[in-house]
Amino acid sequence: MSITARPAPNAAPARLKVRKSIDSLSAQELADFRRAVKQALALNDKRGFDYFASWHGVPFGWCQHHDPLFLPWHRAYLYWLELALQSEVPGVTLPWWDWSKDATIPSAYSSAQADGEVNVLAKAPIKAFNTTSKSGWPTETSRAPGEVPQTPGPPYQQEWAYAMKATTYSDFSQRIWTVHDTVHVWVGGTFAQVDWAAYDPLFFAHHANVDRAWRIWQAAHPGANPPANILDESLQTDPAMKVQATLDVHQLGYEYAGTQSTVPGSA
Amino acid sequence: MQRWTSQALAVPPRASWQRADLEFEGVEHDGPSFVMHVFLNNPGADEATPRTPEQRYAGYLTVFAHGDCWGDVGHCDIPEPVSAFDRRPPHPLIPFDATLEITDSLGALPDGTGEITVTVLAFNKHGDDDGVLRFKELTLLTYA
Repeated sequence: MSITARPAPNAAPARLKVRKSIDSLSAQELADFRRAVKQALALNDKRGFDYFASWHGVPFGWCQHHDPLFLPWHRAYLYWLELALQSEVPGVTLPWWDWSKDATIPSAYSSAQADGEVNVLAKAPIKAFNTTSKSGWPTETSRAPGEVPQTPGPPYQQEWAYAMKATTYSDFSQRIWTVHDTVHVWVGGTFAQVDWAAYDPLFFAHHANVDRAWRIWQAAHPGANPPANILDESLQTDPAMKVQATLDVHQLGYEYAGTQSTVPGSA
Repeated sequence: MQRWTSQALAVPPRASWQRADLEFEGVEHDGPSFVMHVFLNNPGADEATPRTPEQRYAGYLTVFAHGDCWGDVGHCDIPEPVSAFDRRPPHPLIPFDATLEITDSLGALPDGTGEITVTVLAFNKHGDDDGVLRFKELTLLTYA
């Protein structure tokens, strides 16, 4: 592990940003993250939250599921959104929701109010980018845990452990997308619909945990990459990113950590 | 709830394989999201059947699906490539293959079990009893 990486050849090492569990954010970190999301929600151009939400489902439909591109595409997706949020509030990172341990949706995403205001992480408007809404489209995100009967609920400890036992990328990818699907279906509402799920801020905490799972599995299986024939494939994001560029999170400037504790030095 | 039971699938001798997978080929995901629970040699399984080894429960899969079509007429129809040089990405509704590893549950069947049927109970939020799970074919794969 490392706390720095070279962003480009011949560049000086730069500090990696750390994505943390939503449960371990300080009050200030959580307030900063909420502020970044709130400001991004207020933007109706390509800097805004709705633009990024539009990539996944309505109207663009660029996401990749049930396919070897699932993990690379969503890693690129989170990378671009995180940069957009950092443009709003420097230093913020995407928190992760550890549904392998938590039995329910974190309160940071479910409480109706936060800091005396409406909690922007609990519910968000659905405004498809540059698209006129049609009759029947949802106007705001919704969740309905248990809506699909007989769907196992969290924590998904066994499913996580089963994914981590995979010895090939193909097996890992299938196993983690399966539990990923289960989380979406269990949460229900618009979160259980590919076309609308990404309008919910919870989506990105869910996918940060999926991405974290891949990172952990990669560390345990160095060199176990996606199939060679897709490494040069361009992922449909804006801008596009090749699969190869998603393999090393350090080259994307971040790392996952369970804890982070830093004190001043002697200078 | 939709219940579907397969025709019999041949099972090779236990000593000849180390891993077993059920492959649901061509799963449609253009409708509501759903969950499917899988039983082996238990065609009478229903939603009250305990999901235990004694009931030959093999596991579950969920499918995060698209829901209703939101576009204009034809939006959710999967088009054929318009030319050999059509490099557009695949249509997002192309059916996919879902894998359920059943090594433990298949291995727990009595010695000499030569065939199995697979019963799937599929649930969506509407409580539909048909059309929840739609797929092309089911394959039992074993690996030495």
